[in-house]
Amino acid sequence: MKASNTRLQAVRDAVNRVDLKNFRFWFQIVAFVLFVYGGYFAIDLGSRLPFFSCGYNDEGRAGICYLLPLQHQLSQPWPRLFSLASIAILTGFLTFTLWFIVLNKGWCGYICPLGTIQDWITALRRRIGIRYSTYSESQFEQLTKVKYLLLALMILIPLGVGGGLFSHDVSPPFCLICPARMVLPAFTGDVSQFTIDFSSKTAMVMTALGIAVTALFLVGSFVRKRFFCFFCPMSALHYLLSKPALLKLKKDGNKCTRCGDCYRVCDMGIKEIADDVTTVNIMTDDCTMCLKCVSSCPENGTLKATFAGIPIFESTEEGFIKRMGKGLQHGK
Amino acid sequence: MESDAKVIPIHPSPYNLSRQAAEAQTVLDHIVDDFSDNPESMRYFYDLFRRVYCQGEELKHEGLLVGTTCIHAPEELIYAFGATPVRLCNGSYHYDQRGADFMPAKSCSLVKATLGMLNSETVIPKIGKPDMIVNPTTCDQKKKASAMMENMGYSVYDLELPSVKESEASRVYWQRSVRQFAERLRELTGRKLTRKNLKEAMAKTGRAQAAFRTLHNFRRQSPSLILGKDAFLVTNAYFFDDIGRWTAAVEKLNEELAQREKAGFKAVQSKAPRVLFTGSPPIFPNLKLPLLIEESGGVVVADETCSANRMLYDMTAVDEWLVNDMVDSLADKYLKPCTCPIFTRNDDRRRRLLDLVSSFNVDGVVYQAFAGCQVYEMEYRSVAEEFNKAGIPLLYVETDYSPDDKGQLSTRIEAFLESLKNRRKQRA
Repeated sequence: MKASNTRLQAVRDAVNRVDLKNFRFWFQIVAFVLFVYGGYFAIDLGSRLPFFSCGYNDEGRAGICYLLPLQHQLSQPWPRLFSLASIAILTGFLTFTLWFIVLNKGWCGYICPLGTIQDWITALRRRIGIRYSTYSESQFEQLTKVKYLLLALMILIPLGVGGGLFSHDVSPPFCLICPARMVLPAFTGDVSQFTIDFSSKTAMVMTALGIAVTALFLVGSFVRKRFFCFFCPMSALHYLLSKPALLKLKKDGNKCTRCGDCYRVCDMGIKEIADDVTTVNIMTDDCTMCLKCVSSCPENGTLKATFAGIPIFESTEEGFIKRMGKGLQHGK
Repeated sequence: MESDAKVIPIHPSPYNLSRQAAEAQTVLDHIVDDFSDNPESMRYFYDLFRRVYCQGEELKHEGLLVGTTCIHAPEELIYAFGATPVRLCNGSYHYDQRGADFMPAKSCSLVKATLGMLNSETVIPKIGKPDMIVNPTTCDQKKKASAMMENMGYSVYDLELPSVKESEASRVYWQRSVRQFAERLRELTGRKLTRKNLKEAMAKTGRAQAAFRTLHNFRRQSPSLILGKDAFLVTNAYFFDDIGRWTAAVEKLNEELAQREKAGFKAVQSKAPRVLFTGSPPIFPNLKLPLLIEESGGVVVADETCSANRMLYDMTAVDEWLVNDMVDSLADKYLKPCTCPIFTRNDDRRRRLLDLVSSFNVDGVVYQAFAGCQVYEMEYRSVAEEFNKAGIPLLYVETDYSPDDKGQLSTRIEAFLESLKNRRKQRA
């Protein structure tokens, strides 16, 4: 019993010393290949995935982002929507929720291909040696609400389409403006999404908006880390469902010195991670669960990621010193 | 006519016969000789203080010399520009008296001693004249000292520090302040701040901090492996010692402590009350209070002061190793975790103290406030309330650099330690 305990502790210590940056880099590449090219290997994980595995990437996708079928389902004519067919919506939502609760927002920080692309753009900027910019506190407070607005629109507009209030050309509204629709198919050589649809005025406006948002996505993520995630309606939906999630980000406020190291490295610029010493479940709606905060916390056990209540990655002084030492030697 | 007049030359007496040398000698002898079982590797520090403070040996340094009057001056930047930082905060009663001319009667000994030292002909430690003094705008007394130092002929740079630390506005303001400081250092040294030299500087400080943390962690052991008077001497040496040599000496000390741990060594009796020291900083030779605690049978196991823990504990995290981001990261480290009472709120200080009490198995807390150090005096109430609630005994001591109150303090401390012992017995 005792021997297995010490062995477990040894494994834990090794995990806590991990070079998270490196680990995440490779993990994201594997996930990217799986979800952008997995279709070629006949992998299909369904259409209820809680991240941007874009359905427009017809050939390469290994599964479909839930937002696409959700908007389709919601844009059914109202008589059908409120009939037994609504059960399909509920089961779809349930499947999505089951996927989601496994990794919580970890889907964003480790799996989502659109998130990975932003991290690559960030890496490119860093290599060039250009510094990133951040929002001021007031900008942050205003902009953080946008994702909820997009989520509301993403539900209301399809409902309006189903009720005959809007033309079918605005459906699915979010996908039409989502940068993943253009960027991800491009990785399999399909650039057909980079077009403006002139078939109707609405279609023209929506596709033009889509191109504008994609351009903004590319520029934005060069300037600010994880630019798009801040506005992502999926991220808003995640947060609303995050209570029963298995993967959790936890904080022991008593051990926190509020040194701000976690806030310093946070791609999203979440101040609460450093300043809030009372909340235990410290994941906020903007969080992508990249766990950089955990890896850059020098206090033993202050921040930790737990899975079903079991700690899997904890902040340690030793891990901090090792990682920063590596950064001092090779960091770019 | 003039040539006939007989002039009796006044030979300046050698430094080692001076008052400040005698003061240092007395304290150092006490630290070294009145305790048994001093760690072998402490000899480096004993010798260092003997050479520098008692014999007046000159300190060599690389590049320009930048004096700092507070822990808020980012030393990594100074190292990065090829200059050497030296902390000017002084602990000598002799200089305290000489500095009394500059400040009102009821003011902080530390500030007076620093001014007294800078104004004297024999500056000890013998560092030579700093090419610049960085004076962070912290407490009122340090702020007003700025112009006085300038009048003494020093070049002083006021590093603007905000008085609120929680707000984002003050964080941004402070980051800009630190960048301006880097700009000033560039003008002074004529060098450029590059990723390479900043990384090297941060690595130096990082290694020193890691060594400090290891020492700090050894002090969690109960019964203690090392006395607090030695730990204070170690961190006091950081003020002026070469950082590489200092770190190597601390690493050696840590090795010895690891051996002591393995051998089950006890530096104190098992029942010695474990004391957390907080408040105004003990700076050599003014180690009056920690020494009184330890000669009365207590042991200082941890501290929350700017001459030790607060100066070295908190470490810098960097996300992107670009000069800009590194400088901002440094700025954050010097502001956000700081528990100095000059800031508007003291939640972090109280939380830090409570954490130290529980993680170091502390029996009681000694709170030193230098008479005239208003910020510590004012914070006492809120800290006492917090400890009262948590049921942790606290002794508040208002004192200064003068040795006059030693007898009286000794009685109070003995009584306090006795009460801690009784408390422990009752609990057991």
